[in-house]
This record gives sequence, C-alpha cells and structure tokens, in this order.
Amino acid sequence: MKDKSVSYRIFLAFDYILLISLTLIFLFPYLNIMAKAFNDSADTALGGLTFYPRSFTFQNIKTILGDKSIVNSAFISVARVVIGTLVAIIVQFLSAYALSVQDLKGRRAVLFFMMIPMFFTGGLIPQFILYSKIKIINTFWVYILPYSFSFYNMVIIRTYIKSLPQSLLEAARLDGAGEFRILVRIIIPLSMPVIATVVLWLMVGYWNDWSTTLYFVTKKRLFTLQYLLMQVINESERVQSLIQQAIEQGLSGNVKIQTTPESLKSAQVIVTTLPILCVYPFLQKYFIKGVMIGSVKE
Amino acid sequence: MKQVTLDNKKAAGGERLSFKYIKKRLSFYIMLIPGLLAVFVFSYCTMPGILMAFQDYDFVKGFFGSEWVGFRHIHDIFTMTTYRTAIINTIVLNTVTILISFSLPIIFALLLNEIRDGIAKKSMQTISYLPHFLSWVSIVAITYSLFARDGFINDLRVLLLGQGTERIMFMAQPRNFVPIYIGLYIWQSLGWDSVIYLAAISGVDQQLYEAVKIDGGNRFSQVIHVTLPSILPTIIVLFILKMGTMFADNFDLVFGLQNAYVDFEVISTVVYKSGIKQANYSMATAMGLIQGVFGFILMAAVNVASRKISEVSLW
Repeated sequence: MKDKSVSYRIFLAFDYILLISLTLIFLFPYLNIMAKAFNDSADTALGGLTFYPRSFTFQNIKTILGDKSIVNSAFISVARVVIGTLVAIIVQFLSAYALSVQDLKGRRAVLFFMMIPMFFTGGLIPQFILYSKIKIINTFWVYILPYSFSFYNMVIIRTYIKSLPQSLLEAARLDGAGEFRILVRIIIPLSMPVIATVVLWLMVGYWNDWSTTLYFVTKKRLFTLQYLLMQVINESERVQSLIQQAIEQGLSGNVKIQTTPESLKSAQVIVTTLPILCVYPFLQKYFIKGVMIGSVKE
Repeated sequence: MKQVTLDNKKAAGGERLSFKYIKKRLSFYIMLIPGLLAVFVFSYCTMPGILMAFQDYDFVKGFFGSEWVGFRHIHDIFTMTTYRTAIINTIVLNTVTILISFSLPIIFALLLNEIRDGIAKKSMQTISYLPHFLSWVSIVAITYSLFARDGFINDLRVLLLGQGTERIMFMAQPRNFVPIYIGLYIWQSLGWDSVIYLAAISGVDQQLYEAVKIDGGNRFSQVIHVTLPSILPTIIVLFILKMGTMFADNFDLVFGLQNAYVDFEVISTVVYKSGIKQANYSMATAMGLIQGVFGFILMAAVNVASRKISEVSLW
C-alpha cells in the first residue's frame, strides 16, 4: 500500500499544497464576512479587510441584536425549528414504526400511497391555492404542517427499526405490553441513533429554509431570520448601486454617505449562520450516517 | 421462544382483514393516521389543482366557475419568449453545472485518500463540509459582500494589478451570473458530495492493491487500475441520478443572485413571479406541470438506465 518512491513524495507534497489551498477557499469567504461583522464599520469602509478584524468591536452584532424585528424573527425561527422538528419526528416515527410491522394488513397499500407524491405533486401554485383555501397562509402553521411528513425520512427510520432484534418485541408482547407501551419503552430508546440523525436534518432544514416565507407569508411578525437576511441583501444592493450611480454621474457631492450597510449585513449573516456552524463539526457524523443509509437504500 | 415467534407470525399472516383483526391491531392503524392525513392534505389535495393549467383560473370564481381553455397555456409557454427562455436556461444551466462540477468531488476524494495523517485529513474534511451547512441566503449574502466594490475580490485585483485598477461591480453584470452560480454550487457541494466517494474508496478490497504492488505497480497505477474501477459503479449511478435532476432548479440561489441588473430566469423563478406575484395562476401552474412531467419522464428513463447498467435503481 505504501509507496516510498521520490515521485510519490513529490506528488504527496503537491497533494498537501492543493488540499490546503482548497481548505482555505472553503473557509475564507466565511472568515471574511466574520471579520467584517466584528470590525469597526468606519475601518471596514477603508477596505482591505482579509480574514481577521483589524479593529475589533461587538458594536455591529449589538446593533443587530438590538433590532426589534431581528429579535422577533429569531424567535420565529427558533420556534419553527423546535415545534416543526417535534411535530415532524412524531408523525414520521409513528408511520415508520407502524409500517415496520411485517404482517400488518394494508401495509403495502399505505406505503404506495405515501410514495406517490415523491414523484408527482401539484407544484407551487396549486399549493398556494390550497393553503389559501384552508387558511394557513400568513399563519405560523404554514411553517410546520406542510413539512410534517417526509417519505424519505420515514423510510430511513423504518429501515432502522426493522433492523432491531425482533425477539425483544415479541417478549414484551408476550408479557402483555400494549403497542404504545412497547413503542415508548423499547422502540424509541433503541432508535435514538436514527432519531438523532433525522432530527438534525429537520432542524437544519427548518433553520435554513426561507422560500416558505417568500411564498406564503406577508406578515412582518412571522418573518424568519433567513427571510430578513434576504431583504437586507436586496436593499443594501439597491442602496449601493444607487450610490455607485450617483458617483458615476458626478452627483457624489450631494450624497453624504453616513453609514455603510455592509457591516450590519455581515453581522446579520453571522447571527443567522453561527448557531449551525457552532454545532455542525460535532454532529457531522449523524449527517454522514444519513448519506450512507440513503445510498445503501438506493 | 423462537417457536412462539414463528407461530405468532403464521397466525397473524393467515388472518382475514376483519373487524376483529383491525381491533387487535388498532394501535398501529392509529399511528398511521397523522402521516396519512399529512400526505393526503398537503400532497394529494394539491393534485387536482394541476387542472388549473387547462383553465383560465379565477380566484373569485373558483375551480368550478373558471373557464376551460384546453392546452392553450401549454402552447403559450412554448411560444412566449419569457417562458421558453426560462426552460432553455434551466436545461443549459444544469447541463453546464453538471459537466463542470461532477468530477470534482471524485478527484477531491482521491486526493484526500492519499493523506495518511488522520488529524489533517479529518480537519480538511470537516472544513470542506462547512458551506453545505450554510443556507443559500447566507451564501448569497457572503458572495455579495466578497464581490462588492470594496470587497475582497476587488481589493485583490487592485493589489495584483496595481493602483488605479477599475473596481468592478461583479454582481451587477449579467455575464457574470453563470460563472458565479457554478462557482457557488461547487463551493457549496464539493466537500459534501465527496463523502459518498470516500466511503466507496474505503470499501475497496485491500488485496487488490497488494496484487498491483506485486506486479510492480506504483501508487499511481494502483489508483488507475484498482481504486477507479472499484468505485466506477458508484460514479455511474451518481452521474445518472444527477442527470435525472436536469429539470429541477435551485430557486434560492438563482433568485438570490438576481438584482436590478441581472434577470437570469429559470423555471421556478418564473413560476413564482408570474404565479404568486402577478396572480397569473393558470400560466404558472402550466409551467410547473411541464417541469414536473419532464422531470418525471427523465427520472423514469434514468432509473431504467441505472438498473440496466448497474442493477441499482430507485424503485
């Protein structure tokens, strides 16, 4: 397996250089925005910021966290992650458990019924009309209910439950334990690894989603952090192009640039992404496990 | 114990679907209710809505009051520039993205596999996953910041090309859209997509490497003659599956990169704009339907191909 030749050592040196540069490319954009977020905004305006703050300050982050709409949207985002994840894992786990019972009559029909929408759905506009008719548009429930079932997650959980030792369940049934009791006392404790995996997918998915707000929510009170970030991107881009145009047309004398939205925007990116980035290195094994189960399934 | 298990199964399997049976198994059927309800309401109840594509749907008149127009909207989509361009854009953007990006995670996995230092390998892997955990919105925000007039890329240009170099508004130039889109796609997915290849590589039979070595082959010929052929089935399956997503598009990223100067449209952005923003429900539904039908046909074809070539299929 090992190759000690000179040519291989040269290759290995190049390999290290290449991979380390790649790693820097993966990391740098985030470090750059982090430096901006923690750098004094007047200093940032001078340009030339790389991957560390030159003049460290918490001011930008404080300003962002002091903003009422941001605090409110953070609350909505967290509530969505917590409630949405809870609802979804309960719905998906119950279905998965019932469908893991080998001899349950109608099992195949139910599986088929749940699988069809994987390949064939109404699409965005029929969704929009339906949500209007059942009056969940512009309510918190539009963040939760439509995403409560996922065939893919259900299959992953079901595959796992099926791999549990069946004799354990049979023994409990012989002792006269009811199915709900078996579920709570035996199945759920044994299924913790797959529950952790699916819960993490759900949490990251809910936290990072923003188009649901764009499509179905117009109430400011219900905006999520991601949606607020998108608004800021569009606005500041508009402001910047206006300033740029003004300068090009020689009108810059009349335009006083007092603050750059740049620092605040960066701070908002950090507030929106840091919760996930702090935990992902410790949780990545669960995500990788998911990729593996999925690929085996395929 | 074992005997009891077998007997139990036999008994249950032989039973008829009777009232008594359902009563005995009632708890399982109750557990299925939330899932069935969610699927029925949020998936099945949207399906009749597809018929809007064949109507002049009026929100006030409702589904039964609106006028039927047959295939007029479908016909319009293939003749009207806005819609046709969006379809062509989607296919072209996906083709170019797949062609450019597909091989990169494989190369990354092969290069990473040569690193024997566990800590270095693990840290590089972990960092390469970072972009995968960012939302597309924050990726777009970071991109705008990086490519801004006073952002890092322009700083770098001034540093390399000398003072007085013009600062370019990258994000406001339509011709930069496709390169930036592909760049961001690669940045986001490269590390994560290599996971599956790394797993495939670690599953290669070690004896095969020894065989090549005995035949006098070096590490490079081991990779060419053992590693690559061993992971070829994985590569083929993933490539075929990727081809199946040709009609899908990344709404978040495309919409995020659009601004006052860039108006590159794909199917989903047109569906959103004409459907939800302009309340042009029927046209947008027809557009979504075309995407769905083409996507389904492609997936089915791809699945057949995958089964033929590698005996692996989705269904």
